[in-house]
Amino acid sequence: MAASLPDLLLTAEKAPADSARARGQAGWARSLRLWLPAGFLILLAAACFLWPQVYPVPKPVGGSVLNAGLPPLSPGHIFGTDPVGNDVFSRILYGGQVSFEVGFAVTAIGLAVGGSLGVTAGYWGGAVDAIISRVLDVLIAFPALVLALAIAEGLGPSELHVIWALSVFSIPATGRIARSATLALREQTFMLAARLSGTRGPRILLRHVIPNIVPQLMTFSLLGFGVVIILEGALSYLGLGIPLPEASWGSMIAQGQQTLTASPDLVLIPSAFLFATVMSLNLVGDALRERWAI
Amino acid sequence: MAAAEGLRPGAGTEFTRRAPGSPTLRLAGRRLLAAIPVLWGVTFLTYVVMNLLPGDTAQLLLGANATPAEIHQLSVELHLNEPFWVRYGNWLGGVFHGSLGTSLQNGENVTTILGARLPVTAELLLYAFVVSLVLAVGLAALVARWPHGIMDRLSLVISMMGLSVAPYVLALVLIYLFAVKVQWFPAIGYTSPSVSLVENIKSLTLPAIAIGLPLFAVYTRLLRADILEQLQREDYIVTARAKGVRPWPIVLRHALPNSMFGLITLVALNLGTLIGATVIIEPIFSLPGAGDILVQSINDHDVPVIEGIVVVFAVVVVVANLLADLLYAALDPRIRYGRVAS
Amino acid sequence: MWFGSTGRKRIRRICLGGSAVLLALTAAACSSASSSSSTSASTQASTGPHAGGSLTVFEWNGYSGDWPAGLDPATNINGAATQSQMDAVYGELFELGPNGAIVPDLATGYSITNGGKTVTLDIRQGVTFTDGTAFNATAVAWNIQRDLKSSCTCKPTWQVTSVTTPSPSTVQINLALPDGAFIDQIFDSIADWIASPTAVQKMGEKAFAVNPVGAGPFEVVSDTLSSVLVLKKNPGYWQKGRPYLDNLTFKTVGGDEAAYEAMLAGEGQVYEGMSTPSLIKQAASHFNVVNESPSTVYDLQLNTLTPPFNNAKARQAIYAATNIQPILSHIFANAYPIAQGFTGPGGICNEPTVPGYQGYDPTLAKTLVQQSGLGNVTIKLGTIQNPVAEETTEALQTEWASVGIHATIADYPLATLIAQFVSGKWQSMVQTAGAWDPAGGVGVGFRFESTSPFSGVHNTTLNNLLNQAQAVTGLSQRCALYNQAAAYIAKNYYGPFYFAYAPANVAVKNVVGPGITEPLPTVVVQPAILWEDVAYTS
Repeated sequence: MAASLPDLLLTAEKAPADSARARGQAGWARSLRLWLPAGFLILLAAACFLWPQVYPVPKPVGGSVLNAGLPPLSPGHIFGTDPVGNDVFSRILYGGQVSFEVGFAVTAIGLAVGGSLGVTAGYWGGAVDAIISRVLDVLIAFPALVLALAIAEGLGPSELHVIWALSVFSIPATGRIARSATLALREQTFMLAARLSGTRGPRILLRHVIPNIVPQLMTFSLLGFGVVIILEGALSYLGLGIPLPEASWGSMIAQGQQTLTASPDLVLIPSAFLFATVMSLNLVGDALRERWAI
Repeated sequence: MAAAEGLRPGAGTEFTRRAPGSPTLRLAGRRLLAAIPVLWGVTFLTYVVMNLLPGDTAQLLLGANATPAEIHQLSVELHLNEPFWVRYGNWLGGVFHGSLGTSLQNGENVTTILGARLPVTAELLLYAFVVSLVLAVGLAALVARWPHGIMDRLSLVISMMGLSVAPYVLALVLIYLFAVKVQWFPAIGYTSPSVSLVENIKSLTLPAIAIGLPLFAVYTRLLRADILEQLQREDYIVTARAKGVRPWPIVLRHALPNSMFGLITLVALNLGTLIGATVIIEPIFSLPGAGDILVQSINDHDVPVIEGIVVVFAVVVVVANLLADLLYAALDPRIRYGRVAS
Repeated sequence: MWFGSTGRKRIRRICLGGSAVLLALTAAACSSASSSSSTSASTQASTGPHAGGSLTVFEWNGYSGDWPAGLDPATNINGAATQSQMDAVYGELFELGPNGAIVPDLATGYSITNGGKTVTLDIRQGVTFTDGTAFNATAVAWNIQRDLKSSCTCKPTWQVTSVTTPSPSTVQINLALPDGAFIDQIFDSIADWIASPTAVQKMGEKAFAVNPVGAGPFEVVSDTLSSVLVLKKNPGYWQKGRPYLDNLTFKTVGGDEAAYEAMLAGEGQVYEGMSTPSLIKQAASHFNVVNESPSTVYDLQLNTLTPPFNNAKARQAIYAATNIQPILSHIFANAYPIAQGFTGPGGICNEPTVPGYQGYDPTLAKTLVQQSGLGNVTIKLGTIQNPVAEETTEALQTEWASVGIHATIADYPLATLIAQFVSGKWQSMVQTAGAWDPAGGVGVGFRFESTSPFSGVHNTTLNNLLNQAQAVTGLSQRCALYNQAAAYIAKNYYGPFYFAYAPANVAVKNVVGPGITEPLPTVVVQPAILWEDVAYTS
């Protein structure tokens, strides 16, 4: 759907041509490019997780039927209510929690598992590389959404199953980036020097390889985070993600879509948040790439 | 595949040592060999996942009024009681003979079902690819001609938006704007090309845009970055400019073709994610394609159909990757002539 | 420079990019709010039906737009749901007309004798299938026998001892048990659709299912399963001057909204079974919206075989915890009448209030919850994936929570739903019960008789009541027995009833016909539109 894997790496690589010119620009513009979207993300995450603790909002589920179908800017319901009476604003916040949780978990698993596999394959080469690469290839060849559907259908929809299913997508993706980055690193002079001076493998990995590939993995993961959020939305849209009536931006869009012409806000509001979040993640990823001149 | 992960053509991989003579063929051979375990792994994984799904198939088929005796008999007929490896072996054997099983819903051959549905999906994906590629290349050419100009800025904006939008949201907006408000395209449904080519193209346009916009975004970013880098760094371009060659020929004959490199591999690699996209887009537009029947089969628990479709998809992806690898290797003179690059 | 031009451009780029999309989306929203009523206020049916024209009908993919097994009556597992398509291709032996009149179509009459154990059908003479072969008693008998032998979950449940053809125009069906509701049951039985035996035998069952041959008003041009069915007028149809339409096409859509948008885009003229209240309201300003006569009741089934609902107090608590009126008025805009039994105003034996029915009483509910221990467990509350069912279920969950009953919701597609029932692991399900005749289709037996896997009740007294009500031939006797059954269900708190659902059919203003401009009683959830009488008026 959204960005594919090696592309991100390749694009990442080309940033220098652009940032050379960018360096000629005012520093504050560069800061803004990073901190505006980053700030938005931080604020949104804070709102989703902290606001309900600090300030009373109606519950996202169990809304009273007497409040069904209120339009936005109704008293007490700034975004209105859905056909069963749940407050939309509250569902946006709690749905945002789900998006951030799933995105974070899947990305973290991808980095941990995929990253380790990729680094191992890239550093040791040979048979180890061959085996790990084949495994990653198999996982990538599997259409991720299809696998996620099958898992969700078989095991039942739940946030945990969504995380598992999407990890099958993030592990090989991160793995391949980690592998390529490690390969590129392996040929560099300082690595040769480290090996010649007798440093042991694991120490090299820890002190030289990993710190140097972290920037690339980080920027890739930020873009991947956005993709995962969209995929979680897709699963919920199909009814195989977060189960109703719990809130998820994807299932809100699916529900709202059923009455699109009658009440478009039920689709527009979660779509806008989804779009803004993913866009901010992409912008932050780009800005970091530019900054670190990866 | 190795070539794609390589950052630049010829980057270090385990296949860096080359024997003299016919390196392309050797490369092709090696890639093919590597693809075989992947193919096997994919079919195996498909079968494992599908068979892990809970639910008594025989019971579902016979319905609520079935007696235990009837259920048992059907289980025997469908070989459902045999051990896992036996069933897998039977299924794999069937696949090699071109038989993907029969649908539990209506007894039709999965191959027949796929034969009817795959062309629709294939046409949709082709349309999406072509449109996004053509537009991306066109835009990239303009960007290359006037780097950092207006078109460049615009391309950055559009591609950022295209990357950030969810295809299902885009589809809904497209239907609302272009089918309901201004009736340029049909909101739902598919017209076969044999009935009317024009209507066929119209019925696939909105879905192709929904799938193609994120693609277009990715390609544009890639091409743009690649071209800009070439214009700045590549000696031959600097030389050409110094010699007074006009800008357009430089772009069209040198910069652009070289950028197509990375793009080609990308196209093949995207196939996997795109197939996932059709699962969402086809039902929204009521297109009778493979993605649509996959969703139906998952809802109906029609395991043979699910297996068949997933296997076909996965094999297509593997083959596409293989072809991209070979093409990449064939095009890159450094690999073809066996030069080792680090 | 701090305010370098490129810096400014970058900020503008970001802001512009984001807002451009938002603007487009908002523009879409604004234009929808001012719904343009473009159709002129022309009166319909003023000029009467015209012959000719092509009609496209939309069907929902979750029910009537799904025919994965083809359209052979003996193998179409979704026959009852796809009755529109089946009726168009095969016609019917008997049709259910306005006000519940039984309209002879391919059969001309019937008689029930021998204490309800013998049914004689008179078959219309001079009819041919579209392949030219004769439509006669032999063909009908062949079909009925084939239906009874089929392994389809859709096969008739009559206990038939023999099917004979005393003459080329009569078919006699002998039953083991008397059945006074036989003709009513035929409306949603596969026996109502007669396939050409020659065609079935010549083509083989698989090919026939995709290219069915019947004697109905239309014949098949092309059939893409669960997607598009293209039909054209049957030139040899028995009724002269019918069908009015030259072409009839059925198309599957994803839901009410998709159908509505497609109709607005001019891609179709009719949509069967719209249930979303806000869309119904919107549609009324552009199209004709007709509410069919409600006879299918939404109810809650409780599994009395397993805890917690094997405890009568727990079941009573559910009754007392449910307040259906606000759900009806706020979610469904009072479109459907309240029901306390399995009958509705559109069907026979309608009894809106049942004596002894436990109504809403939250104080009592709380007491019962404590006494039965219902508050200590979390209940599974399931339903099918459609908006009406899902919204009802969510609202119920909220209401119950306020008296201390905790439930988790699961929305299933049809196949998984069936699996849940069959496995016996369900606790409560929001479903529909009742049909035009409670003995027919997804009638009361389907939900409350112990032999049905979809029933949560296993009570011999109730079984006997329901069987008797079906066997008896006099209508008033039958209704009296059904009233007794409803009272018995209420007394034992076997399952609360909610409302009698009536789908709305939506059509463009220049199309008329029974079921489209004239409400019909619903057979199973939806009425059977009489396609041969559907026509354009201008």
